[in-house]
Amino acid sequence: MGKRVAICAVAQVKNVPAYRQMRFQNMLLECFESIMEQTKVTFDLDKGIRNIVTCSDDVFDARTISNNGVTDVVGAHFRGEEKMAQESINGLGYAMASILSGHDDVILFMGHCKESQTESRRMCTNLAFDPFYCRPLGMDFQNVDALQARAYMEKSKVTDEHLATIVVRSRKNASRDPFARENRLVDEKEVMNSPMLADPIRQLHYYPVTDWAYGMLLCCEERVKEFTANPVWITGYGSCMDSYFIGDKDLASNFSLKNAAQRTFARAGIRDPRKDIQLFELCDHAAYQLPLWAEGIGIADESKGGAWIDEGGPDSYNVNLSGGQLNGNPLLLGGAARAIECFLQLRGEAGKRQVKGAKRALAHGTYGAAGQHQAVVIMEI
Amino acid sequence: MAEYWGINVEDIFNSMKDRFRPEGATDVTASFGYDIREEGKWKVSVFHGTLAAVEKIDNLSGCVATMVTDGETFVGVNTGTVDATNAFMGGKVKVEGDMGAFGRTGRMFRKYVPPRKEMSTRDYLVDMFGTVESRFKKDAARDLDFIITIEVSGDAGGVWSVIIKNQSCTVVNDRVDNPTVTLEVADKDWVDLTLGKTDAQTLLAAGRGSVRGDIAIAMKWGEIFEKYVDPMGGGEPEQELLVLKKTISVGQKFSTGPIMGKFLNGLKAKKILANKCPKCGRMQLPAREICADCRVRVTDFVEVGPKGQVRYMEYVYYASPDPLTGETRETPYGMVNILLDGCTGNDTFAHLIRRDQIDLIKNGRDDTPGTRVRPVWNEKRVGSIFDIQHFEIDE
Repeated sequence: MGKRVAICAVAQVKNVPAYRQMRFQNMLLECFESIMEQTKVTFDLDKGIRNIVTCSDDVFDARTISNNGVTDVVGAHFRGEEKMAQESINGLGYAMASILSGHDDVILFMGHCKESQTESRRMCTNLAFDPFYCRPLGMDFQNVDALQARAYMEKSKVTDEHLATIVVRSRKNASRDPFARENRLVDEKEVMNSPMLADPIRQLHYYPVTDWAYGMLLCCEERVKEFTANPVWITGYGSCMDSYFIGDKDLASNFSLKNAAQRTFARAGIRDPRKDIQLFELCDHAAYQLPLWAEGIGIADESKGGAWIDEGGPDSYNVNLSGGQLNGNPLLLGGAARAIECFLQLRGEAGKRQVKGAKRALAHGTYGAAGQHQAVVIMEI
Repeated sequence: MAEYWGINVEDIFNSMKDRFRPEGATDVTASFGYDIREEGKWKVSVFHGTLAAVEKIDNLSGCVATMVTDGETFVGVNTGTVDATNAFMGGKVKVEGDMGAFGRTGRMFRKYVPPRKEMSTRDYLVDMFGTVESRFKKDAARDLDFIITIEVSGDAGGVWSVIIKNQSCTVVNDRVDNPTVTLEVADKDWVDLTLGKTDAQTLLAAGRGSVRGDIAIAMKWGEIFEKYVDPMGGGEPEQELLVLKKTISVGQKFSTGPIMGKFLNGLKAKKILANKCPKCGRMQLPAREICADCRVRVTDFVEVGPKGQVRYMEYVYYASPDPLTGETRETPYGMVNILLDGCTGNDTFAHLIRRDQIDLIKNGRDDTPGTRVRPVWNEKRVGSIFDIQHFEIDE
């Protein structure tokens, strides 16, 4: 194992359907001030923050080079600032690389997305597709998810009933997290009666529109004591990009997630994720993805996602005790939300949802149509 | 009426009936005006998706929108010779009235294609033999001296002789002595043969033509002459470029937040509110949540101006449509940064200057005052940057 990078502090605003009284700068500022307060870090050019990594999306922000408009509220004035336009969890990989390379000792990592600002997230994600072929066909992340859901559910014998239990559990778990989006608790019957968006995905199977922002301070191992007495270490990061066009891949194969996970496990020295990791946060923005990604990282048997739900797999492996992305985080920021939950759990600050004795956690992020890009981070104390 | 690229404004209007696309006019009932300087005014009326009338008229009242431009630009845009977006951005085309409604006319008509004059068989023959000398490939005719006589029968026909000697080529519209080879062919067949629509073997096999003399020389035609290019657009087909034109539009609601909100509300009350950094004293316009220099929250507001002095000014020569409304502005226009009274250093406020005063504005510097200006407020104010129409010289 190589050198380690520490997460010294995290900050977030509550996940809400819409921050009508705040623009995203206000949301970020809350997180920025919290990180400053927790760590007493400065912007001293020798000892403090010289570089900031941010995560945001041009289309959701309706602003090209979306990071330029938030540089003041992330403290980036007269400092270096780079944007992660891919799923937020990759910002951790970017910050980690900056520190491990020796280029920086300290990185501030912040992200925002105000999904409520746009009239339609489906129109935003339609723009992720090429203008000649897929866009005119009406593809967006939601209906392409349904292609994957149908293929996967058939392969792994996942039923509408299984999806209902996943939604019910997600909302119940999220009710124990003060930063989670406040969603009404539902029962299986209500989920199974919710309208179809794109068969087999029902309205309640899909994460709700959410506004959120966060901040994290990362630091090299040598200087960690300057900022926290309880660091959480990043010991592995891996990612994998699959084909852009849906027709080029087997949608139910988990090819890119398996690759991302294996690369991460190799870095972190993990032989068997079922034994070596005590907590998993998976980026399930639709209910069918919980067992799918569980298979991808190796805590559910291949093609046995349905049976894994029946056997209580999500609880026995401590998967998505935060409610997961299904309960509501902005699509772009699901990975950062997962990592923050892992951080709080490993520090013993997860309140009612605390897992006792958790030493090692896995955070996952995915973006693009039907999980095109996948990334996995291992965090430890 | 003036012609541009061989086309006049009337050609465009007269062809509208043929170019009308009902599928692009679904549910449209409206009249559209065209005011073409020095050419006249036209009114195009669409009723329930059908083209009701295209009339040359003096009065454009009742039109939902009117395009105002000159004849050259109008013809250029309709034929694709002039880029429509550039013409619009550059202020050469203006639209008065409902811009959005006018935008639909773009889908209502097929592009104007100028009618081609037909070429007769005789025209072709004259052109084909008239270009033989220029199509001669000197290097391909090394050591080749010969005469080909072509006897073309039919109403358009005639006799042409092509004389190749010492790597030069002469064509005469007659018989000459001792041709190396003589071809007999009908007028239309020669045209088709030259245009590549048929070939010599097919013609000979069908008995439509004959060869007397050295047939091997006749077969060299393709080697020693460049291919004939059809002036009517035949010849090598141009590469077809597929371009998808699409306006990307996703509705957005932007929250102002408390700080920007207070700044905009100030404008509603004819007040320009800067917020002042508690640490460095810098005034921020527009007001922002944080002082980027000091990294502290900025919550104190100070009313500044409304008068001030110009620090920077520029002339803008394109109309810069408002992305939300498509509205344009008169060009050139002057964008200014004003150091409002009560502000110092670079704490300037950006706005527009009255158009007729652009040439009178002087930039200020630290040691030199710029032109003094004051805001012209709109009667109806809604909490937008255009609650101020523009600034003007404070006399």
